[in-house]
Amino acid sequence: MYPEPTNIWERIEYSRIGTFVAESTWAFPTIETLHVISFVVVLGTIFVVDLRMLGLTSNKFAVTAAAKDTLPWTWGAFVMAAITGSLLFVSKATSYVINPYFLWKLAMMALAGLNMMYFHLITWRTVEHWDRDASMPVAVKVAAALSIIFWLAVVFFGRAIGFTLGIFY
Amino acid sequence: MGDLLYNLTEWLRTTPLVELSLWISDTSLSMWIVTHFWAIPIIQCFHILALAASFGAVLMINLRIFNLAGTDRTLAETERRYVKWIWWALLVMLLSGIGLIIGEPTRELINPVFWIKMVLVIGAVFVSLAFHGKVMRRLAAGGTVTAGIKAAAIFIIILWCVIILCGRWIAYAPV
Repeated sequence: MYPEPTNIWERIEYSRIGTFVAESTWAFPTIETLHVISFVVVLGTIFVVDLRMLGLTSNKFAVTAAAKDTLPWTWGAFVMAAITGSLLFVSKATSYVINPYFLWKLAMMALAGLNMMYFHLITWRTVEHWDRDASMPVAVKVAAALSIIFWLAVVFFGRAIGFTLGIFY
Repeated sequence: MGDLLYNLTEWLRTTPLVELSLWISDTSLSMWIVTHFWAIPIIQCFHILALAASFGAVLMINLRIFNLAGTDRTLAETERRYVKWIWWALLVMLLSGIGLIIGEPTRELINPVFWIKMVLVIGAVFVSLAFHGKVMRRLAAGGTVTAGIKAAAIFIIILWCVIILCGRWIAYAPV
């Protein structure tokens, strides 16, 4: 009942998993709910570290402690958000790939990822020098501010997708 | 469940909430939201960000209760660090939620899932008031973490997840 796929996105959308999520009455909203729960955990835990890095909260305590407390939860929740996000994507792959807000969301996540990689590979090397400082080096503050900006953008573009899916051809 | 929701909707349609929704949708604020495409998504962004702040704060406190995070500080310090975020974020969620109701009154007020969510939110507020008032104060004063307190910590997390579930399903309820 689905036409023969003519490109990779149609092949994904017409796959067994794609059609299941799209046709089921409960699958899409339920996966969306899990996506929201995992995403707010990602966001909440990242902001805990970002605010510490900006020197705004928990300044008595080490940055490494804040990172150790939150990172396993950030990554666990991120994996769940990625899995649920992929499931949402396959159900309407052809609409998502041409939606500029979806592409912007991916771009913002990529920037957030690059910012994180630069921070953990370069800036983090000197962490013992500023771990317990109340006022952080500029590079640390910039990384935290960029992280907050990129993730806020991810929220906005993510929400925008829900309002614009299907209006682009 | 479907029948229950359906009957609840039917009942909501017989209440003065219908008049109220129509009245709200005639206000200039509601008109403004309706005629500005980005108003609702942006209000929803505030709602989600506040949710992230408050759910994150609840998570950090409750993980500390289980010694899974924040073990470099005392329970009292953890509570003091995060509890304000729960209540301020709740205020932001309340205000942004009111904004969403003003923008789409019928979609919210004549919606069974919305009212189930509201009952759960009120429940969560009272449970949290007790938890962060009495329980955390006792723990901060050096009390021991009992099995009951651990159960309550898990219960609060689950309650929030169910509230999030309802929030998402408002959009899919048969109205």
